Amino acid sequence: MKKIISKTFKRFKSAVSNTALIFQRELLILLSDLGVTILLLIVPVVYPFLYSLIYYPEVVRDLPVAVVDLSRTADSRAFIRKLNATPDLDIRYECISMEEAAGKFRKRENRGIILIPETYSSDLALGRQAVVSLYADMEFFLYYKAMVMGAGLVSIEEGNDIQVKRLLNAGLSERQAEVFSNPFVISGNAIANPAGGFASYGIPAALMLIIQQTLVLAIGIMAGTARERHKLGTLIPCDLRRMGTFRMVLGKSAAYFLIYALMCFYMLGAIPAWFGYPDQAGFSQLIALMVPYLLSAIFFGLSLSVFFKNRETPMLLYLFLSFPLLFLSGIIWPLSNMSPVWQVVRSIFPSSHAMLGYIKMNSLGAGISETGHEIAMLWILTAFYFVTACLVYKTQITKVKKLVLNAGHQDNSLVTAL
Amino acid sequence: MNTYIKALIGVTGREINRMTSRPLYFLSVVILPLLSLLFFVSLMKEGVPVKLPVAVVDYDHTALSAKFRRTIDATPGSSVVMTPATEHEALSELRKGNIYGYVVLPHNLQADIMNGTQPVVRFYYQNGLLIAGGLIQNDLTITLHTLSAGVNKQKREAMGQNEVSVYAEIQPVKPDAHLLFNPETNYPVYVTSIMLPIMLQVFILMITVYSIGIEIKERTSREWLRKAGKSVFVALTGKLLPYTVIFVILSLFSNFLLFKALMVPVNTGVVYLVLLSLLYVLAYQAIAVFFVGLLPMMRHSLNLAAFYGILALTLCGFSFPIEHMPEVFRLWAEAFPVRHYMHIFQSQILAGFNFVYAAPSYLKFLLFLLLPFAIIFRLKSALIYQNFIEQIKITDAAEAAVSEKSLIQ
Repeated sequence: MKKIISKTFKRFKSAVSNTALIFQRELLILLSDLGVTILLLIVPVVYPFLYSLIYYPEVVRDLPVAVVDLSRTADSRAFIRKLNATPDLDIRYECISMEEAAGKFRKRENRGIILIPETYSSDLALGRQAVVSLYADMEFFLYYKAMVMGAGLVSIEEGNDIQVKRLLNAGLSERQAEVFSNPFVISGNAIANPAGGFASYGIPAALMLIIQQTLVLAIGIMAGTARERHKLGTLIPCDLRRMGTFRMVLGKSAAYFLIYALMCFYMLGAIPAWFGYPDQAGFSQLIALMVPYLLSAIFFGLSLSVFFKNRETPMLLYLFLSFPLLFLSGIIWPLSNMSPVWQVVRSIFPSSHAMLGYIKMNSLGAGISETGHEIAMLWILTAFYFVTACLVYKTQITKVKKLVLNAGHQDNSLVTAL
Repeated sequence: MNTYIKALIGVTGREINRMTSRPLYFLSVVILPLLSLLFFVSLMKEGVPVKLPVAVVDYDHTALSAKFRRTIDATPGSSVVMTPATEHEALSELRKGNIYGYVVLPHNLQADIMNGTQPVVRFYYQNGLLIAGGLIQNDLTITLHTLSAGVNKQKREAMGQNEVSVYAEIQPVKPDAHLLFNPETNYPVYVTSIMLPIMLQVFILMITVYSIGIEIKERTSREWLRKAGKSVFVALTGKLLPYTVIFVILSLFSNFLLFKALMVPVNTGVVYLVLLSLLYVLAYQAIAVFFVGLLPMMRHSLNLAAFYGILALTLCGFSFPIEHMPEVFRLWAEAFPVRHYMHIFQSQILAGFNFVYAAPSYLKFLLFLLLPFAIIFRLKSALIYQNFIEQIKITDAAEAAVSEKSLIQ
């Protein structure tokens, strides 16, 4: 009995010390490889910074538009003044014809055209509905939104004023006219990101995606390099001390986890604080989300690494996924309008859940229970990819063991020829 | 001249041989680009997101509040998926991501409207997700104004006004929004038209850098150069030609998808489409050659190409307008062919403007083609002297095994 205990203890001790050895070795190789160091330490530092600078202005204000005023009356001029007063629009040109305005648009001097019809003033006077046409440039969603929202709200407001004026003329009191034209007051409120800032919306999601993408690329590059370095083209070196599936997977994972745990303080702590992005998520919430995210992304990377036969392969075969993953996350394209097929594809990537979960916690102030679905999905993926990573390493180890044993029995030259 | 053409054909043949020798090429030149194109075409082909889930918190429980709920549900933009009892619950559902917005109908809504005390109807939209938030904001604003007008109309009709003048009275000015020059196209389709070339450029950059860099890494560059009659120009042209053909076909295929599957209007001839695709592919190949010349060690040039390729999404300026970026980045944006592609695509193909308006962008494409000349000698010397090769320490498995065995025994 005592013998079994001491034997088990001994085995356990050697497993732990070997795991620590693998961890140490992985860290050492990681940090001595310039390409991987750039990917792990420089890219996550530089990208958020660069994006923050590019999106620094955050919102689109004073969109240059041209007005074609065919009515040329006091009424139409009052309408134009109101348009110009909105923060969204800047009436840069007053053109005499649609051709002139369109000509300026072709040269990109304006980004939209507002056409006030000839009959504007008479329509109003005769009690007919006056139609103001908005022609929006669709080059950018933000332009389109600024144009439609800006001009649309002014139209509603202007209509309201005209209506109140008429009711006053009809002999109603000011209060009566107001109540009559607005039976109830409408108040729209933004939850999160009230200014509609682009950086506050895009960068937190991008941070999450960068974490997974750099991790998978780095793990893939390491695996490809390992295959190039090992003479037999195997994923793992021929060192019997390191031939345990669990110690292999856990030792390597620990190295990546350590680096990214440290990077998270910069990416999720410093960047939002410096640039004023939403930071409603508390420390415990971030831990609840980031631990399964990092683990699932690392195991995902280790599982994929079996496909990368050379150092360059991950860049060729995996990098492009960054764009589809961005669109699959649910940040850009609403999940309610995604086809079931893409929903399934979406759910196998850790980044999808982490991006949405982070936005919920950080911008909307969701708690751990409200992010429960995302966190649960991340743990499921962690378990799933842990198993696949172990299977990958198990088969690799069996392969190497076989090769090594053969090498022991046979002539060395034969192995070299392999 | 004849010898040059012979050499060119020889190099192209050699490259096609190389391309068919490994599945890697087939994957990254044909399969993955095709999958990406189909992904983007299928993801947003439905057009503007419709029936986004919202909630109505009804504290009033009257006929009027029920009518409000039905009207919101009936709008094309939103669909009422739940009626939580409290605002607190609604906010929690929004945080969970089940709804994108909610409307709060206060106590005594119907009574207050009837006796003219102007109750406040609040609505909330999730602006952390900009597009869904914007759509909900727009939809609920319009719906509630319509409802307000409806109440107004009922009152007026009760006063005996006829219907035509009622509309003019409650909404004297009606805004009527169009998309300039493309009334039929919607925004998601438009996003797709930009994402397709962005996906292609990633593949063009990576495979071009790889196909040249691998010759240096695997020390086959001298043989390659010999085959090209020692002309680096012939060597590059011959090598890149098969890729040019494939990517031009892919680019034309992506346009075909846009026009046939997504019904984007095309207002220009096929000649311009082919010219645009050709210039686009060539520009990116030229940039990739420039990267390899600059950093002949493949691991570094691939990193550089990846950095540049990923930034294209941001700096082509469709997510956020270039005009509103800091000055430095406006200049940066000029260095991305996809930005010029976008200009030409919008002005010439979508809007059908005259060639003159797109001409500056065509000229800029030509400037990209000059880039390889800046590094051509550096690249040639790297190909000849192979002095940019990373040292790989090869562990001898057999040796390790033997020493391992002796350790164990």
